[in-house]
Amino acid sequence: MKQINLGLIGIGGQGRIHLRNCLRLKEAKLIGVADISETALKFAKKLGIRNVYKNYEDLLSNQQIDAVIISLPNFLHLESVTKAAEAGKDIFLEKPLARNVAEGQKILSSVKRNGVKLMLGYNLRFTAIIRELYEKIVDGFFGEVEIVQATNVSHGPFTPKGGMKRLRSVPSWWFNKELAGGGALLDLGSHLINLLIWCFGEIVNVKSYLGYKFNLELEDSAVCMLKFKSGPVATVNVGWFSKDFIQNIQVCGTAKSLCIHLSPPSILSLVWADIKRKLGKFEHDSYYTELKYFVECLRKDIVPLPSGKEGLTDLQVISMAYENCII
Amino acid sequence: MSLVSLACVNDFRADALREAILKSLNLIRFNFKRNVDKIVIKPNMCYYYHPSTGEVTDPRFVGALIDVFRKNFLGNPDIFIVESDASAMKCKYVFKMLGYDKIAEEKNVKLINLSNEKNAIVEVKVNDWYFKFCIPEILNQSDLIVNVPKMKYMDDVIITCALKNMYGCNAYPKKSIYHTALNEAIVGINKLVKTNLVMVDGLVVCGKKTKRLGLIMGSEDPVAVDTVVSKMMGISPKAVNQVVLASKEGIGRMEPILVGEPFHRFEMLFPKKSIRDKIQKSFTSLYTRIFRSEYE
Repeated sequence: MKQINLGLIGIGGQGRIHLRNCLRLKEAKLIGVADISETALKFAKKLGIRNVYKNYEDLLSNQQIDAVIISLPNFLHLESVTKAAEAGKDIFLEKPLARNVAEGQKILSSVKRNGVKLMLGYNLRFTAIIRELYEKIVDGFFGEVEIVQATNVSHGPFTPKGGMKRLRSVPSWWFNKELAGGGALLDLGSHLINLLIWCFGEIVNVKSYLGYKFNLELEDSAVCMLKFKSGPVATVNVGWFSKDFIQNIQVCGTAKSLCIHLSPPSILSLVWADIKRKLGKFEHDSYYTELKYFVECLRKDIVPLPSGKEGLTDLQVISMAYENCII
Repeated sequence: MSLVSLACVNDFRADALREAILKSLNLIRFNFKRNVDKIVIKPNMCYYYHPSTGEVTDPRFVGALIDVFRKNFLGNPDIFIVESDASAMKCKYVFKMLGYDKIAEEKNVKLINLSNEKNAIVEVKVNDWYFKFCIPEILNQSDLIVNVPKMKYMDDVIITCALKNMYGCNAYPKKSIYHTALNEAIVGINKLVKTNLVMVDGLVVCGKKTKRLGLIMGSEDPVAVDTVVSKMMGISPKAVNQVVLASKEGIGRMEPILVGEPFHRFEMLFPKKSIRDKIQKSFTSLYTRIFRSEYE
């Protein structure tokens, strides 16, 4: 099977994680990176990347590159994915698919028209503990699931870097409703909604309450009630308002109930994860695993999941949540 | 010797806050009968934290302070709430997110981002270190500079309160350039911009954990305030370089005379960090610098 040549567009916070992971993949080679920031490009050069571009269109015109990883702000998703698709590149796009349903539909049309693959970066789907939960649900471990509660509350874009206490400068687009497309619900809720649809299928009804603790035009908290066609009712609680970080999922079924905690990482677990990374063991790193899976799909010519279509469904649910907001 | 008043407030509604603030000011014999046309209030707005975390000055406290000034000063002084951009924080967002834009509108005061103001580059020497600071003109033109800090632990300088809060009076946004000699830089800015009044917002404090302390501390001497605060936080003031250095430079005196509520009442309640917490924090900080640079 051939090696996949990758290009990376956007070396911000998330992009840097992808950059490191690209370099760790044995089945792929990172050919070039693009970013408007000189500092970001210097960072890439330091890691040995020869082809650095200030304009991502120049990266897309590099014929060596088979697929691109796009890690740009939400307002650039439509434009960048369309151009990448037109250039015939397969695409790994950081979630969310787009700022809204209309943009999402345009992205899917462009991907379909150009016959390229599109995978969305929902890393939670590649977390070992979540995959175990999924297997349990499919396996009937819970009997019939009746109630689910999923929570992801943190400081959102204001979260200190690297899980440690170091304040970060937040890019201005995060504060702009038009550029970001949504607040905590789109940013964190999209992860949980995607996960729940993956586990329980179609959603038939959505209600939400949105909070604005920090007086921004974007919601910094959201509580959503989702009714699934298959039976369960789920509550999704997300927020950007807290200095602390909590992420968990509680599943209550007729046979068994379970609560899994994904956070907060203790200092010891961070140290252990870092040691494993230094030893070259990245299998428990969800960002690495999702990228590895994406490359595998390209090599085997399989449609990668989560797909763009799933991303569009997530946006439709989020759009319903905004529309069916209580108060 | 400098007077430092301790007042207690359990109810954070405006009228109770106003009463406690006035009590605190009366205890230090604050003189309202003077000519004051322009007042600058400098709260702590270090980052996009909610005031209920104890990390930043509560706008309700600043609002009550403005009411007290309006009622007690003769005439109708212009009041400005000021802060400057920092490496990780931008005033245009923090004013809105913390609720200062609402207070400014409600109380008819101006919100000023010092980084956008006309300023002069001023050089200052502290302990063989030379610093250049961008000092906004508005600070030199004011009759009363009111420092409204929070009391917190801080890795590099042990504590942050009155002296450290004035660091935000430097209009230059990339403040991390001063971090190699932060104690000296803090003292430097305090040499250039004199605090006339310190009113510590100790309503909610952030120590080992967040706690509702209900403390209001007032003084005209920032060094005396930081001396009391460090003791309250379980640290000897002599171990806090910025305080010792500021005292040597004549910014204030480390000899506070406490008036008002008993000190031990707050000292007992303050959520102090244990040695174990400090070791863990130092380890985390060191570990981040060495091993987690890839996430920076």
